[in-house]
Amino acid sequence: MTLETITRRPSRVPTRRYLGAVKWSIPVAVLLVFFLSPLANLLVEAVGIKSPALAALFRSTLPWLILRTLLLALATTLAAVSLGLPLAWFTVRTDVPGRRLWRWLGALPLAIPPYIGALAFLNLLGPGGGVNVLYREATGAPGLIVNLYSFGGTVFVLSLFTYPLVFLFTASALERSHSAFEEVARSLGHRSGEVFWRITFPLLRPSLLAGGLLVFLYVLADFGAVSVLRQQTFTTEIFHLLNTRFDQAAVAALSIILTVITVSVLLAQRWLLGRRSYVQIEGRARPARPNRLGPWRPIAALYPATLMAVSLGLPLLLLLLQIESWPGAAATVLDQAGFLWASVWTAAVAATVGVGIGLFAGYLALRRARQGGAALFWGLQLCYAIPGTVLGLSLILLYNSWLPWVYGTAVMVVIGYTIRFIPQAVQGITGALRQTHHQLEEAARGLGLGALETVRRVVIPLIRPGLLATWVLVFISSMKELAATLLLRPAGFDTLPVRIWIHTIEADYSKASTLALVLVAVSALPLLLVEWRRIT
Amino acid sequence: MALLRSRASVFLVIACLILVPLFLLIGSSSSGAQELVVYSGRKEIAIKPVIEAFEKKTGIRVALKIGKTGGFINQLIQERRNPQADVFISTTAGAVISILDRGLFYPYVSPAAGSLPDAYKSPDGFWTGISGRARILMYNTQLIKPEEVPRSVFDLTDPKYRGLVAIASTRERTTLGWLSALVDFLGEAEAKAYVEKLRANGLHILPDNTDVRRGVGNGEFALGLTNSPNFYLTQREGSPVGVIFPDQGPGQMGALINPNTVSIVRGAGNLDEAKQFVDFILSPEVAATLVQNAFEIPLHPDVTPGVVQGLGDFSPAAVNQSRLGSLAERTLEIFPDF
Repeated sequence: MTLETITRRPSRVPTRRYLGAVKWSIPVAVLLVFFLSPLANLLVEAVGIKSPALAALFRSTLPWLILRTLLLALATTLAAVSLGLPLAWFTVRTDVPGRRLWRWLGALPLAIPPYIGALAFLNLLGPGGGVNVLYREATGAPGLIVNLYSFGGTVFVLSLFTYPLVFLFTASALERSHSAFEEVARSLGHRSGEVFWRITFPLLRPSLLAGGLLVFLYVLADFGAVSVLRQQTFTTEIFHLLNTRFDQAAVAALSIILTVITVSVLLAQRWLLGRRSYVQIEGRARPARPNRLGPWRPIAALYPATLMAVSLGLPLLLLLLQIESWPGAAATVLDQAGFLWASVWTAAVAATVGVGIGLFAGYLALRRARQGGAALFWGLQLCYAIPGTVLGLSLILLYNSWLPWVYGTAVMVVIGYTIRFIPQAVQGITGALRQTHHQLEEAARGLGLGALETVRRVVIPLIRPGLLATWVLVFISSMKELAATLLLRPAGFDTLPVRIWIHTIEADYSKASTLALVLVAVSALPLLLVEWRRIT
Repeated sequence: MALLRSRASVFLVIACLILVPLFLLIGSSSSGAQELVVYSGRKEIAIKPVIEAFEKKTGIRVALKIGKTGGFINQLIQERRNPQADVFISTTAGAVISILDRGLFYPYVSPAAGSLPDAYKSPDGFWTGISGRARILMYNTQLIKPEEVPRSVFDLTDPKYRGLVAIASTRERTTLGWLSALVDFLGEAEAKAYVEKLRANGLHILPDNTDVRRGVGNGEFALGLTNSPNFYLTQREGSPVGVIFPDQGPGQMGALINPNTVSIVRGAGNLDEAKQFVDFILSPEVAATLVQNAFEIPLHPDVTPGVVQGLGDFSPAAVNQSRLGSLAERTLEIFPDF
């Protein structure tokens, strides 16, 4: 067996460094300008600040708001990890009944936008929802036994639809990593729990941190679900300021605070990841022998079954129940098929561009860190810090002033998606690349392949599942995007989330639910295909 | 390797399939510069029939973008160097008035606005009212008896209404307009005292008016301070709701009317078409359509209000829209976290 786990400093390629630095600096600079210009624009706007609104905010509620937002993000991340990690372990490392089905369906709740999930669950757990109505009828007492409009309710909804980020990353890491260590540990007499905490968990740490980071940053910048659930966060406050005072300097200043928070979170991730890296030299991992659950098998199946029922079955059922008539729903779908197409092609272009740039950035970050790779990697991560609305307004100013022929076309929507979700692409691809060892590439180079050929013939085949999964991730995120799309779409060009939003504010929940189901189905399709390939 | 190459070609084909419509779209939208671009803060259900009628009558193609009034104002500010929109439809006059000093709008006094009451149009033509929505008190008939519903918003501070009342935040321009009207009517100190009492009595401040209308409709709240069409829409859905037009007695404040307004964007690429559109939307036939589709109050004296209470059926608050608009900034300072 040629497996080797090494604890070492990241690899260094000393040869021709300076030549390389020049060669890579141009694309790196172009990409950084493209992705960071909105942030730079915010900095410029924030400089001219003389806002009484911001001063008032700083005096009163700002620290409380930051604390509350961080708590919400932290609680959601922990909840998402505690939902997603066991599911990954059960489906990859045990003989739980239906493991391949759960592996296949486990990531699907990602296709349900959290704001739609929140609206759906309100029909069940809101103050006027089914559970409370039943309670009031049964007891005759006024009041509520459950209220989704709460901190806990928000954590519940957000974690149900973001845990797949943790699940996807950890499940594929479990599949890629050898089970040899676990087998050795077990043969030395360690119990299953001990094996998990001492062997499996440390090996999983990079992917767990990558997934957790995406959940955390998602919650920081989320507007839809938190505002449906009436929660005040940093992002809703930015939105409030923007829509009451039209004070863009104050908004820019607040967005920069959010960026600082994001940078701190990224640094924390890096610190937690440590200098250690775990790689394997073999091209392919031998599938692990599953842990036998023995008599616990049927009970263990309750976990994935319940999770799927709550995060997938229930919201879809609640959406179905909102549809008033089937012919009406069919007419809505036919009538609005054009908007579906608009969503699909913009998201597909953004995902393709995002994966291309993510591959470039990830490769450079891991193999050419000193030649601009590190700068590019960190620069692209910053894009997650800007809430959709703020990003949209920033892009409007930039492109309408400097590239007016692009502004007012659907390309703006694609640019918006690409910038918002590039951190997902970079995280996903870097995570996959981290587990391939540079010696495999060096061997290919040594055999006479050029850099591009090496990437095409060695790197890409090695990480193809990771590339596909990342494409699907960016595609789904783009399909769901609402805040930036509302601003960036040209007049007359609506996407599905925009249509759902329009019907929701008109309180036409039948139409909104019909389109939400279409959105979920279409987003789920590539995910199901990719995951199907994985399990068969 | 052959497999890889065939995969690569499949990807290329897919990429082409994606890129071709992309370029087609770019082409069509740049050649479509003759389209009249309308940004509407009013909901699609209300404004779309008007747009369709306009297209049919004039043959001018319209590109419609639906959003929130506040969002569009930010967008218009960002687009100021190279305006994209021709016409802006706002849900309150105050939103337009509060940013008049930024020079975003083109003054146009439409001949069709002649018969409109002065209170609902700008003398310079920066904005003109197309229909109105009254601030009303909506209640859930299963939670509160009609005779127990207060006749004045100032009675809502009574402890018997503790925790029963919901209102949208100032993110909704209509709420901001109502707060400004309070400041105008009562003076700063008294308005502040009233709102503080209201909040001390457990007022629920929700993100937007849809939350209020949904909450009163499904029994989460007994009372909601919101806009008149919300009552009619909730009633049409079959929810048990009633309505009070508050403060109707002599010397009382009256029910505030927030006019929906139309403005032409300064620098509009299609000024003539924009003027035609403004003339069209101000005509009595269109006012009638808006009333029917969205339960709005006609401002035009010739239009019958139909099922809704018209201007003659209740006593509106006597306010000056320009004064309300200029009070907006101050109002936000007085009520920073509303």
